[in-house]
Amino acid sequence: MPEWIVKLQKDFVTAFIEDNRWKYLVEGIQNTIILTFFALILGVVLGVIIAAVRTTYDKQYEEIKNPVGKIFLAIGNWICKVYLTVIRGTPAMVQILIIFFVIMASSDNKMLCGIIAFGINSGAYVAEIIRGGIMSIDGGQTEAGRSLGLNYVQTMWFIVLPQTFKNILPALANEFIVLLKETAIAGYVGVTDLTRGANIIRGITYQSLFPLLAIAAIYLVMVMFFTWLVELLERRLRKSER
Amino acid sequence: MNDKKLIRVSGLKKHYKDGAIKALNGVDMEVSKGEVIVIIGPSGCGKSTFLRSLNLLEVPTEGQIYLSDVDITDRKVNINIHRQKVGMVFQHFNLFPNMTILKNMTLAPVQLKKATKEAAEKKALEMLRVVGLEDRAEAYPNQLSGGQKQRVAIVRALCMEPEVMLFDEPTSALDPEMVGEVLDVMKKLAAEGMTMLVVTHEMGFAREVADRVIFMDEGVIMEQGTPEEIFNNPQNERTKAFLNKVL
Ligand SMILES: Nc1ncnc2c1ncn2[C@@H]1O[C@H](COP(=O)(O)OP(=O)(O)OP(=O)(O)O)[C@@H](O)[C@H]1O
Ligand SMILES: [Mg+2]
Repeated sequence: MPEWIVKLQKDFVTAFIEDNRWKYLVEGIQNTIILTFFALILGVVLGVIIAAVRTTYDKQYEEIKNPVGKIFLAIGNWICKVYLTVIRGTPAMVQILIIFFVIMASSDNKMLCGIIAFGINSGAYVAEIIRGGIMSIDGGQTEAGRSLGLNYVQTMWFIVLPQTFKNILPALANEFIVLLKETAIAGYVGVTDLTRGANIIRGITYQSLFPLLAIAAIYLVMVMFFTWLVELLERRLRKSER
Repeated sequence: MNDKKLIRVSGLKKHYKDGAIKALNGVDMEVSKGEVIVIIGPSGCGKSTFLRSLNLLEVPTEGQIYLSDVDITDRKVNINIHRQKVGMVFQHFNLFPNMTILKNMTLAPVQLKKATKEAAEKKALEMLRVVGLEDRAEAYPNQLSGGQKQRVAIVRALCMEPEVMLFDEPTSALDPEMVGEVLDVMKKLAAEGMTMLVVTHEMGFAREVADRVIFMDEGVIMEQGTPEEIFNNPQNERTKAFLNKVL
């Protein structure tokens, strides 16, 4: 057997098999998925709230009769705008450093900090995806709902949002995939995610090739899997209209 | 037709861009119960704006609109209640593409507690039978032709049992061969005594069905009268010019 194959074999064993080092990667996969999943949930929750405030302000402000409600809505809208501007105008890495070392410096639950940091970041993008989706629905839909006597919330809930959801699903899935990849920087603040797992192996074994190739492949497989899931869901949603 | 006024409009104005565009510039009119009114006029004269004001899809800049003696321009009025009594049919149908035809028709009555789900569905199916679409109840709007969509849109509005129906160019987006089927439904509705305000370019429909024809221009009512008066003997120069162009 040529010498280089023997060396590769040995490196492979050092990188993954010796001392069960593959467990770093398994733990990394788990943590990356947990982090992405909960950050996305937080992001969607934030995104829905912000999109609701912003669209209600845009569409409904004139119609609101209660002056106190009007003031609250205006203030809420202003806060949302500031949030969107700041989050989308600064690097995610910087936001995460600030959350870890300034805002949540006293917490030693790194995973929780990570979820909050990535969730807050993602929320801004999700909010704009949702808002864009709502705005892309033909105004005639709202008018038809309102002309039947449905109120603003009923019209949004039964008519506008279901159509919005279907339209924005690809963009939301894309955001999930972006987020999944972006969590690779969580290792910098001590979350033992997938990338961190590879770095730990590199630190112990002084080998880069296999750990890095392995995580690249794992990220790729995860992304392809989620892309496939979304396509499946999209096809089902589309079928309901044929 | 009796003399009870269903709608009274006085001094209605709608301005855009701080008054630079005067879509409505002082409209006064009354509509009796059971009356069929056809509104005609050149493009941009304010026909849609007027119709849409009647259920506050456009909020008037000035003036009053009384629906059964309630001023709906009053900020204290709950407009949702009044919109239930005013059906509207749009040029582009505006069916809800994410719901079946049946769901399109029952959503509002059920949500607004006008009927139970069973009662609403039974009624919707009856309505669909009247317009010859009972076998399409489970179809989605995309699967219907334009004429079928508009017939569904009409019965969807009727499911709320409105006191008046507004039609904004209901046949303008249709292929010519489908115009007739929609007009037939409207004629039937008129014959049943529904109060109707119809913006249309179908002068034949106006002659045949209207109790009164209103000619609008530049945001005001220029002339009104029976179809006979307006079409055969118009008084206003604008009316004459307009009719010369379209007839
Ligand atoms: N949202 C708006 N902002 C500004 N101007 C508007 C708006 N809606 C309508 N207008 C203007 O108001 C005028 C009346 O419009 P409207 O749609 O009522 O006309 P119309 O008689 O229905 O015309 P058409 O036959 O083309 O439908 C037009 O000059 C139009 O450009
Ligand atoms: Mg119009």
